[in-house]
This record gives sequence, C-alpha cells and structure tokens, in this order.
Amino acid sequence: MTKEEALDWVANLFEEEVVDISLDTPREDIPAWDSLGTLTLMAGLDEEFSIQLNEDQIADLRNVGDVVALLNGAGS
Amino acid sequence: MRFILVDRILELVPGQRIFAEKYISAQQDFFQDHFPGFPVVPGVLLTEMMAQAAGKCLDAEKHSRGKAMLAQIRSASFRDWVGPDSRIVIKATVKTNRAAFATADCEVAVEGRTVASAELFFTFVPAGRFAPDYVDQVLQDFLDKT
Repeated sequence: MTKEEALDWVANLFEEEVVDISLDTPREDIPAWDSLGTLTLMAGLDEEFSIQLNEDQIADLRNVGDVVALLNGAGS
Repeated sequence: MRFILVDRILELVPGQRIFAEKYISAQQDFFQDHFPGFPVVPGVLLTEMMAQAAGKCLDAEKHSRGKAMLAQIRSASFRDWVGPDSRIVIKATVKTNRAAFATADCEVAVEGRTVASAELFFTFVPAGRFAPDYVDQVLQDFLDKT
C-alpha cells in the first residue's frame, strides 16, 4: 500500500478530507478519533487487513503516521 | 412504550447467528402518528429489532466482556413497508466477533420477504453498569428450554 493510499484509508475511516490530514496529525486533532473511532479503527484494521490489535496496542497509535506505518507493514 | 422488540428466539448459535420473531399489533401507539391513514412500523424500530436480536446472539456467549450494545449503524435499507398485525422474523449473522467489538449482518422479513436489512456494529458494556437483577428474559427463556 502506498503512503497516499494509506492516508486515503485513514481519512475515509475518520470521515476527514485527505487534504486535512498528514502523517503528523495527532489523534487529538481528529474529531472522529474518539472512543467509537478507536473501535472503528480496530474493526477496519481487522476486517480489511487482518490486523488484530488489543486495546493497549491501539492506544499506542498516537497519530496518523502510526496507522500508516501499520498499514504499510501489512501491505508488504 | 416498552422497548423489548424481540418476542422470542426461534434458533440460536451463540456468537454466530440467531433467528427471532416479533409480533407488531395494530394497537401499538406509534401507529397513531406514523402515519394517520398509512400505518407503518418506523424504520428505526426495525433497526432496533435487528440490534436487539444480534445483541442477544452475542450475549448468549456469556463472555466477561459485558453486554452487547449497538454503537454504529454501518448501513440500513428499508425495502418495503411493515404494517399493523405483522409477524416479523429477524435474522442476524455475526460477521466479526472480538473482545472489544462485533459486527452483524441483519435482516427482517414478513411472510418470507425481506423488508429491511442492516449492517450493525456493537461494543460491550461491563455487566456492572446494569441493575444487579437485570435479566434478558427473552434470551433466558430460550436458554432454559435448550
């Protein structure tokens, strides 16, 4: 998965315009990355990429770049 | 209006699938407003029926994770009207079932025709948040019989 595809995926998941996020965007700056958003992220990673993370691992994802790195690792 | 929208469970494989039914009588209050001269069951109630059935399917596993609660309606479609005095059959199939969340594909049918469908997303609330004597009687009645 390219960086652009990963950013698109994250933007779509959190209902953001892709131009409004970057790898450095912290989770606090994404309104939809709340408790429901965290569950949605877990479900998306699980269902689309077979990446299963526990809640501690999800808590370590602090910005968009952390999610993109995860997706790039899954795609390789 | 009470809010138990599943009358009884017909079939159940805990954590996997459920068939259940609900009878909607013509005396339901909401028909007075929804709508005069054209009484139909609101789509939100059909969605809640599906959520309650799927929730029972998940709760039947008796995990320590808690009670299944609807967290997101990923999609919902309403294909036909459901009128008074309808026997509604609800089907839910659990697609993803994890410690923190679950998803289910659900349908409701009347006289063999699918009238609504939804993809639902659930989270879990610890049992301690509910009244100590709370029992899902519809689920318990089914489990007691099997």
